[in-house]
Amino acid sequence: MTMNQQRREFLKKAGLGALAGLGAAAGLFPAFALEKTDPSSFTQKPTPGKVRWGMLIDTRKCKQNCTECIVRCHHDHNVPDLSGTKNEVKWIWKSGYEEAFPTASQQFQTDEVKHRKVLTLCNHCAEAPCTRACPTEATFKRWDGIVSMDYHRCIGCRFCMAACPYGSRSFNWEDPRPHVRELTAAYPTRMRGVVEKCNFCSERLVKGDLPACVDSCPEKALIFGDLNDPNSEIRRMLAANQTMQRKPELGTLPSLFYII
Amino acid sequence: MNKFSQILGAVAAGLAVFIAAWFFIHAGHGGSTSAHAEDPAVAAATVQPGGAPIDSSKCILPVEQMRSSHMQVLDKWRHDSVRDGNRVYVNPEGAHFEKSLNTCLGCHNNNPMFCFMCHQYADVKPTCWDCHLSPMEVPQ
Repeated sequence: MTMNQQRREFLKKAGLGALAGLGAAAGLFPAFALEKTDPSSFTQKPTPGKVRWGMLIDTRKCKQNCTECIVRCHHDHNVPDLSGTKNEVKWIWKSGYEEAFPTASQQFQTDEVKHRKVLTLCNHCAEAPCTRACPTEATFKRWDGIVSMDYHRCIGCRFCMAACPYGSRSFNWEDPRPHVRELTAAYPTRMRGVVEKCNFCSERLVKGDLPACVDSCPEKALIFGDLNDPNSEIRRMLAANQTMQRKPELGTLPSLFYII
Repeated sequence: MNKFSQILGAVAAGLAVFIAAWFFIHAGHGGSTSAHAEDPAVAAATVQPGGAPIDSSKCILPVEQMRSSHMQVLDKWRHDSVRDGNRVYVNPEGAHFEKSLNTCLGCHNNNPMFCFMCHQYADVKPTCWDCHLSPMEVPQ
């Protein structure tokens, strides 16, 4: 018997012993057989009595050539202007109907809707896949439903970008600061090598202001409010209108709703 | 007989490994209970419109204390505001301040060498200005 064979035999038997131990433990202490899973710690579904910020976008009111909200958001958050390049960074932008709702039925849709531009941004999902993918907890779910970013902690692995089904995240391939059109002192820029996205204007919400996009919309096409409050304007609008969410079948429970 | 004792030894070793792993997993699990429990007090404090009245006419702490421990203060502020959304700092005198670098820079904007001169002298290279805008870069 060679040395290697002996070792193999030993490992086989040791494994058997470990398995026997596990079996015995499971039999003796059924409650402690395996680590207990508490499903309630996984779910981030809406909880009544807790704030969950959400937005309703009325695409009928949204003017097709208007970019007020995009300009204002990107200005207020020092988002670099790299549009048209492969290094583009965006927090809020317009997509075609088909790109925004690729899994909604496109059959016999009216031409007007097919060509309608839909405002898209981070969905601040209740079940955000990006926060699960982040290895450093740089992106995380806040108590108020906002999927937030801690740029100090982001290591630029881009797992969150792969996890996000909505393309809501951008990576800073280059130093963004030279590409910021007009620097705003009230908000930091980012650095090369971090991911960024919409923060639902948490810096404005804390002061009691509405998000910049909602505030700047000349058509009042964006309604912002607490989805957990049945008396909020957004909930009343949701109750009164037929609305859509982006890729609802994924179970991410977006906090953004659309009126088509 | 020799063979039997060999098998017995291996099984015993496996059991030992299993028990050790069991305790290791449990000890580790006990220590890692979530530190991210949501604080309803923080949530209630931060969703109030207007927030607390902010006083930025004086320094948050005595100069000596700031010189020696501003990094700890800023690190705490960063964690509180970014991760917990708690943006109001109350100093020992009871004055309220916004937990933001801009609270400091709001007053210390006249001296373009605020931050930089000392850091240069001490040869420390904090990464704050990779993202945050220094008074040298933007007129406040």
